Amino acid sequence: MLKFFFKKQQQVESLIYEYLGTLKLAKDNFHDAIYACLASPGVCDTFDFLREQTHKFESKADDIREEIKTLMYGKALIPESRGDILGLLEEMDRIPRLLELILRMIETQKLVIPDFIVEDCEDLIEISLESCDFLFKEVEALFKERKEIRALVSKIDNNESRCDHIERRMITKIFDSDIDPFQKLQLKEMVIIMGEISDQADRVSKRVHIISLKRRV
Amino acid sequence: MLSLLGGIFLGWSLGANDASNVFGPAVSSRMLKFWSAATSASLFVLLGALLQGESGIQTLKGLTQLSLEYAVACTFAAALTVTLMTLLRLPISTSQAVVGAILGIAILNRQLNLQGLEKIVACWVGTPLGATIISIAVYKILAALYNGLRLNLFQSDSLIRICLIGAGLYGAYALGANNVANVTAVFVGAGHLGLFSALLLGGLSIDLGILTFSKPVIETVGRKLVRLDAFSALVVLLAEAITVHIYAFIGVPVSTSQALIGAVLGVGFVRGVRTVSKRTLGHILTGWFLTPVVSCFIALVLAFILHLQYMPPK
Repeated sequence: MLKFFFKKQQQVESLIYEYLGTLKLAKDNFHDAIYACLASPGVCDTFDFLREQTHKFESKADDIREEIKTLMYGKALIPESRGDILGLLEEMDRIPRLLELILRMIETQKLVIPDFIVEDCEDLIEISLESCDFLFKEVEALFKERKEIRALVSKIDNNESRCDHIERRMITKIFDSDIDPFQKLQLKEMVIIMGEISDQADRVSKRVHIISLKRRV
Repeated sequence: MLSLLGGIFLGWSLGANDASNVFGPAVSSRMLKFWSAATSASLFVLLGALLQGESGIQTLKGLTQLSLEYAVACTFAAALTVTLMTLLRLPISTSQAVVGAILGIAILNRQLNLQGLEKIVACWVGTPLGATIISIAVYKILAALYNGLRLNLFQSDSLIRICLIGAGLYGAYALGANNVANVTAVFVGAGHLGLFSALLLGGLSIDLGILTFSKPVIETVGRKLVRLDAFSALVVLLAEAITVHIYAFIGVPVSTSQALIGAVLGVGFVRGVRTVSKRTLGHILTGWFLTPVVSCFIALVLAFILHLQYMPPK
C-alpha cells in the first residue's frame, strides 16, 4: 500500500542513483581522456573516443535530470524537497559540463600540455576527480545515511584548497616559461577551468550539507 | 425545510472556508488531489459531527430559549455576518457569528444563560492562546522525535507527507466535532430538529461547502501555509486540530482560523521568527470584536422585523 502511495518518489530515487552512476561514467571517461592526452600530446584516436564517451554520458545525465524534473512536477515529494533536489541537480550538472568543456578546449584549440606542468596537471585532475567521488558519496549519503555527510564536506573542502594551490602554482609556471604568449593564455584558461571542478564540487557539497541540516528541526 | 435554509447556508460557508485550514498544505503542494482531500475531509467531518458534535449543541442551545422563527433569524443573522466579514476581508469566526446572533435574541427574550456565555467567551480568548501553547509543545515534542529518527531525505519526506495527511484528517474530524453546533444547534434549541438529525444535517451541509466551494480557499490559504517549512506546517495543523478537538470535548464551538493563527504564532516563537504580521494580527482582533457585535445587531434587527405587524389605517 505504502509502496503504491510513494511510487513516484521511488522512481525519483532510482533516477537519482542512475544520474549519479552516469556522472561517474562521464568522470571516468574524462580521466582516461586526459591521461590519453598527456601520454600522446596532440589529439589522438583514443582521446577522441573518450571525449565522445564523456559527451555521451554528459548528455545522458542531462536527459535523466530532465526526467527527474518532469516527475517532480508531477507531484512527487513535498515542495521543499522538490526545490532542494532540483537545485542540487542543477548545480551538480555543471561538473560534467566542465569536464566536457576541458576536453573540447583540448580538441578544438589543439592544446598540448607542456612537460613542466604535466605533474601538476595530473595532481590537479586526480584531486579534483577525488572531490567528485566524495561528492557522489555525499549525495548518496543524503538519500541513505546522513551521518557521513559532515566528514565528506570537510574532505572536499580540503581538496578544494589543495587544488587552488596547485592551480596558482601552474599559472605561475606557465607565465614564467618561454612558451608563446598566446599559448600561455590558452593554458591559463584551461587550468582555471580544471580548478573550477573542485570549486564546483565544494559548492555542491556545501549545498548538500545545508539540505541535510534543514532536515534537522 | 425552508426554515433550515439559513443553517444549511451557514454550514456550506463554514465548509467552504474552513476546509482550507485542515487540507490547505497537502492540496496546494500537490501532495493530495483536491478531490481526494475533499472527499476524505467530508467523511471525517461527518464522523466528527456524528460522534462528538453533541456537547457543542448542548452548550449553544442552553444559551437561551428559542422559537423556530428566532432560530431562523439567528442562522440568517450569522450567515449575513459571515458574508459581510468576508466582503470586508476580515477573518471569519462562524462560532462567534452564531453566538452573537443567539445573544441578540437572548437580549430580546431577556433570557440569557450568563454562565454558558462566560464559558464561551473564555474559550474564545483561550482558542488562539491555547493553540499557541499547544503548538510550542507539539513542536518541541515532534522535533525531538524527528531529530532522533535521523531520517534521510526521502524517508523524512515520506514521513512528513503521511503525517500532513493524517493531521488533515484529524483536523477534519475535529472541525466536524466542534463546529457542527454552529450550524444546527439553534434548531435543536427551538425543538425543530432532533439531536441525530441536527448532527447529520450539520455535518452534511459542512460537507456540501467542502465539496462545492472549498477549492479556491484551500489553494490560497494552503499556499500561505506552505511558505512555512513542511515540518512547521505539520506542527501548525496538528496544534490547530488538537486545540479545536479539546474545545469539542468542552462543548464550545471555536474558530479554526483563530486556532490556526495561534498555532502559526507558536511556531514563530519556537523558531525565533515573526510568522504573523502586525497587520494580520490587527485584522484578527478587529474580526474577533466585530463579528459577535455585528451578528447580535443583525439578529436584533431581524427579530424586530419578524415582529412587525401590518396595522390597517383606521
